[in-house]
Amino acid sequence: MADVTLTNVNKIYGEGPSAVHAVQDLNLKIDDGEFVALLGPSGCGKTSTLRMIVGLESISSGSVHFDDRNVSALEPQDRNVAMAFETYALYPNFTVEQNLAFPLEVRGFSADEQKKRAQNVAELLRITDLLDAYPPALSGGQQQRVSLGRALIREPDVFILDEVMSHLDAHLKFQMLFDLKRLHRELGRTMIYVTHDQVEALALSDRVAVMSNARLQQVGDRNTLYNAPANVFVADFIGEPPTNFFQAQAVESDGDLRLAVDDAKFTLHLSEKTRAAVKAHGGARFIAGIRPQNLTPATASDATSGQTTATLSAKVSINEYLGERSILTAHRGPVSFRALAPPETRSAPDEIVELAYDPANVMVFDPETEDLVH
Amino acid sequence: MSDIVRGDPDTYPAWFQNKKTTRPLIVSRWVPIFLVGVPVLVLLAIVIYPTIWMFYHSLRDTNIQGLFMGNHSYIGFENYATVLSSDRFQDSLVHLVQYLTFGAVFQVILGTVLALTLYEFVKSNAIRTTVLILMVLPMMLPPSIVGTLWRFLLTPSNGAVNQALLDLGLISAHIEWFNAGVSLWSIIIADTWNWTALPLLIVYSGRVSLPPAVYEAARVDGASQWKVMRRVTLPMLKEVIAIAFILRFTDAFKFVDLVYVMTSGGPAQSSELPTYIAFQRGIREFAIGEAAAYAIVIFAISAILITLFLKYMKRVMKAQGFA
Repeated sequence: MADVTLTNVNKIYGEGPSAVHAVQDLNLKIDDGEFVALLGPSGCGKTSTLRMIVGLESISSGSVHFDDRNVSALEPQDRNVAMAFETYALYPNFTVEQNLAFPLEVRGFSADEQKKRAQNVAELLRITDLLDAYPPALSGGQQQRVSLGRALIREPDVFILDEVMSHLDAHLKFQMLFDLKRLHRELGRTMIYVTHDQVEALALSDRVAVMSNARLQQVGDRNTLYNAPANVFVADFIGEPPTNFFQAQAVESDGDLRLAVDDAKFTLHLSEKTRAAVKAHGGARFIAGIRPQNLTPATASDATSGQTTATLSAKVSINEYLGERSILTAHRGPVSFRALAPPETRSAPDEIVELAYDPANVMVFDPETEDLVH
Repeated sequence: MSDIVRGDPDTYPAWFQNKKTTRPLIVSRWVPIFLVGVPVLVLLAIVIYPTIWMFYHSLRDTNIQGLFMGNHSYIGFENYATVLSSDRFQDSLVHLVQYLTFGAVFQVILGTVLALTLYEFVKSNAIRTTVLILMVLPMMLPPSIVGTLWRFLLTPSNGAVNQALLDLGLISAHIEWFNAGVSLWSIIIADTWNWTALPLLIVYSGRVSLPPAVYEAARVDGASQWKVMRRVTLPMLKEVIAIAFILRFTDAFKFVDLVYVMTSGGPAQSSELPTYIAFQRGIREFAIGEAAAYAIVIFAISAILITLFLKYMKRVMKAQGFA
């Protein structure tokens, strides 16, 4: 087992004017036994990063350390990493057992040892009844288990999973999430999981590293990403439905600093802390963000609960009823935004609703750098 | 227009109804009959009728005169007895085995080795393409040209091959390329030059289409290049190599052209293959009945071998869950 440190890692594909800078100045430390997800949209550089950790891709500049060992120039087999592939990448002409045992066969383990360990891994992954089957005869979920097993069998320092669930249907995915979580708890290995699906990333990992445009945007646990996103991209990318953003202007009246949303004729209240930050930051224009989860129809209990809530009224244009909740799309003037409502909400189109929010949940970003003002 | 059927498949004849869907055809029912019928008629005329004709005459004492005068009579399996008991035929079977082993089989092995070498060791696409094009050029030449070309190259007294070997000091005297016992080798050399590119192309394209992720997995698993080649690449290319082999194998059974152009089966019938004898007996010497028997014996041998081979392939693939 090992921790993984990436220092100023860059990846540039090609040369000259057509060169693509796929990963820029990436710094990341993953602790021993930690489960970290690399999350980002397609083309953000997460797979390049992962392939550099594994050693399938050379590092243009910077270094990768496992513990104190610089592995930057090593071949994959010398790094003691194991990887499960998006496309499973099983050897089609081997049985499941031979597939599982291949890393051991290559390392010269005895046939008995190979058999024993394959059996153990198969039990761990609940595929003992498939040991004699060939991969083409297996379902996607079964193949992915075998692929995980092949990665696990030689007890690697670092265990890397590349979009392993993107070809599984929703039901299998759920099962697999559970299994991966269980595996991580039982084995306690350093795991790096690459995905474009925030649900997988947030559900599985201790920390999530969000990437976009070849750069690492933020690393943090679920709460940090949710409540203190480093910038507009993270606030937008994490969370479903996405955060509402408003172009806003700081206005001060009677010593109370608020953000006036352009064209919509409403102002957003800020918490004490945010007010201080905005003041310290200076400037007049900001991007304000509030998550739909933090914007809900006001009820009588809000008033009596003693919570500091503010309200704004808006006209409902769409009410999407999703079973366990409803998404209201409301607008005020030309500005539209989403709010989450309990499922029993039956707002008719064009009905005016009163939406309540906690000023502490209003996020403020610099319009130039798009970074969080805090 | 009464033939145009829209909406009521029940009006089709029973044998013509689509069992799976009730979606009606929107074309005339004669269109599919026409589309299937024409090729069937063509096949009947050029394959099925001649084959039956051949079976028929293999049981008769037909020669060219008898064929035209319509006087030939049933002689049972006498033609087959003649064929199977003739030394000429038995010798030609030995030649065939020699040709299959050092021609077809060797060409597939050589083609495979070249294809994988090209893929694994040459990383520049431009060089790969150039090599492939150069390798494929001989395949584009008609056999008569290939035969003539190699007859010139292998001419003992002043041929280029002997001259080159002499200059390199590899031999001290001319090799008599067209003597008995050597001439079949000369044919095999020319044939290898001509056809090795076919298995090469097939195996190369097979290798190109193998999933790269499997090779990355092998790298991460730590397998050496040789191990990957032996345990991963070759087994995955098994079916592709089998196809290349079947193609060269079937070609071998109808292989006449180079024999005809280069040696005419000689000297003293020492480079004859069964098909060449059938050709010689039938087209040159007009022993129609006997030539037909030759053809059918060759057909039977190749059919049995191919069937066994395909059975084996099917079993292998079934075990792996492909078929």
